[in-house]
Amino acid sequence: MRLFLLPYVVGTLLLVVIPAIATVLISFTEYKAVGVPKFVGLQNYRDLLSYGLVRTSLRNSAIFLALAVPLRIVGALLLALLLQRKGRMFGLYRAAVYVPTIIPEAAYALLWLWIFNPLYGPLNLFLGMLGIQGPAWLIEPTTARLAIVILSLFQIGEGFVVLLAGLQSIPRSFYESAKVDGANAWQSFWQITLPLLSPWLMVLTFRDLVMSLQNTFAPSFIITYGGPYYATMFAPLLIYEMAFDYFELGLAAALLLLTYVLLGLIVLGIINAVGLGGSADEA
Amino acid sequence: MKRKAGSLLHHALGLGIVFLFLLPIFWIFTASLRQRGLPPPTTIEWWPASPTLENYPYIFELIPMARYVRNSLIVAGTAVPITVFIASLAGFAMSQEGDLWRRRLLIASIVLLMVPGASVWLFRFQILRWFGWIDTLWALIAPAFAAGSPLYVLLFFWAYRRIPAEIFEAARLDGASAWMMWWRLARPLVRPTAVTVIILSFVMYWSDFVSPVLYIFRTDLYTLPIGLQILKQLDPTNWPLLMAAAAVMTFPVLVLFIFLQRSFLSDLSIANLMDQN
Repeated sequence: MRLFLLPYVVGTLLLVVIPAIATVLISFTEYKAVGVPKFVGLQNYRDLLSYGLVRTSLRNSAIFLALAVPLRIVGALLLALLLQRKGRMFGLYRAAVYVPTIIPEAAYALLWLWIFNPLYGPLNLFLGMLGIQGPAWLIEPTTARLAIVILSLFQIGEGFVVLLAGLQSIPRSFYESAKVDGANAWQSFWQITLPLLSPWLMVLTFRDLVMSLQNTFAPSFIITYGGPYYATMFAPLLIYEMAFDYFELGLAAALLLLTYVLLGLIVLGIINAVGLGGSADEA
Repeated sequence: MKRKAGSLLHHALGLGIVFLFLLPIFWIFTASLRQRGLPPPTTIEWWPASPTLENYPYIFELIPMARYVRNSLIVAGTAVPITVFIASLAGFAMSQEGDLWRRRLLIASIVLLMVPGASVWLFRFQILRWFGWIDTLWALIAPAFAAGSPLYVLLFFWAYRRIPAEIFEAARLDGASAWMMWWRLARPLVRPTAVTVIILSFVMYWSDFVSPVLYIFRTDLYTLPIGLQILKQLDPTNWPLLMAAAAVMTFPVLVLFIFLQRSFLSDLSIANLMDQN
């Protein structure tokens, strides 16, 4: 039976674990894609600090995550609560929520490039109908960053499905006995649903912190290429530039590690603040 | 009476959500039907005045779209079956492990879910080079050999866990091999999960934008995401044309989703089955 695990384990070691470990090691070396990596200790990290764009990209990433992740998780939770009911129609509603998530990212990026066009895009035309002068979106730094957040809010199908499954895993009998005890819907949400869902929400939040940041790559590459004025220069795009345009692999690896160590600190902070909320094992 | 009003409100909310979430895809398709060269609209255009399908053949003339479609199909067509096979086997093996190893594998898979894609960009390149896979479509298929994503293994694991253990005990006593237990007994019971993984992994390989950017340099091996990027560089504000290309790319995913969404979003059929017992 263990043999069945072999392809998964070997494949994952070769394609994920070993490359990830190599990245950590290479971040302490000077390595320009050719030749032998030269150990330089913490020099790459020191170089990063004096590189203005690094700070910009980390700040952009932080702003993006602070806005996008809570909105995505709460949005997915609200939708799952609203649409968890049985019945044909609700099945269709649930399917509709998933649709934007399946749109391929290259196509999705082109779509939003059009939606956010300040003159002819449907968003500003719609705002115009309401008598509101829409902003210049992708041309202004602040609104460009906001635009990347907005387009991420429609692709929440994965979290939505995970939370639906989480809701299903809560035994009906809990709600029934709560009802017998005279609890209303609001109370049973806070007393039963939320505590039992918390391990799911936790795992989802961590994954979303990592994935949302990663998923800024395609839109920031296709729609804005980091602009205007580096407002949408997020960490993954800068890592890509360092590694594949300037072949500074050591520096790119160091930035990667720095980014995810910072993310790890955020995660630890969250765990500290709310606690782990039980184990995800039997989930 | 009050209950009925509440239910109606619930459905109204549901329909509102449907409207909002179908808007992106609706716009891709309607905008692709607009005639090229017309002055841009000054109000929201829900349906173009004189819709045309002309944009579609035109992109196939403008760029080698057919080749991009073919390459993307080869990648997804090869990678999806490998992914489902490896993930299903691994998920099954995991579900049959003892407590200790099941827990370890579960935690390892969840941790792997958190590993950002960017952390493997740099060195997956090296490993693919050792295999001689750089600049071949195998570079894009490669993730399939790691089950695509730990998520798929976990989905299978959760599904197999819901099958009562007695079924396997009985088979084991009858002398069934591990392979037979998986193929004959377990696999048919988790069909909805297999459908889920087929959809999710197809979308993943079909839309993969990063891998061809990193690992493919031969223009005849470009896949659709790169094709769209090329078209955008040719004519960045020709919306009807860009949306037609986006529609070509979205269409297969949408069709697959529509056909399979029933199983996809009711992947809990087994849980329901067990509730009744």
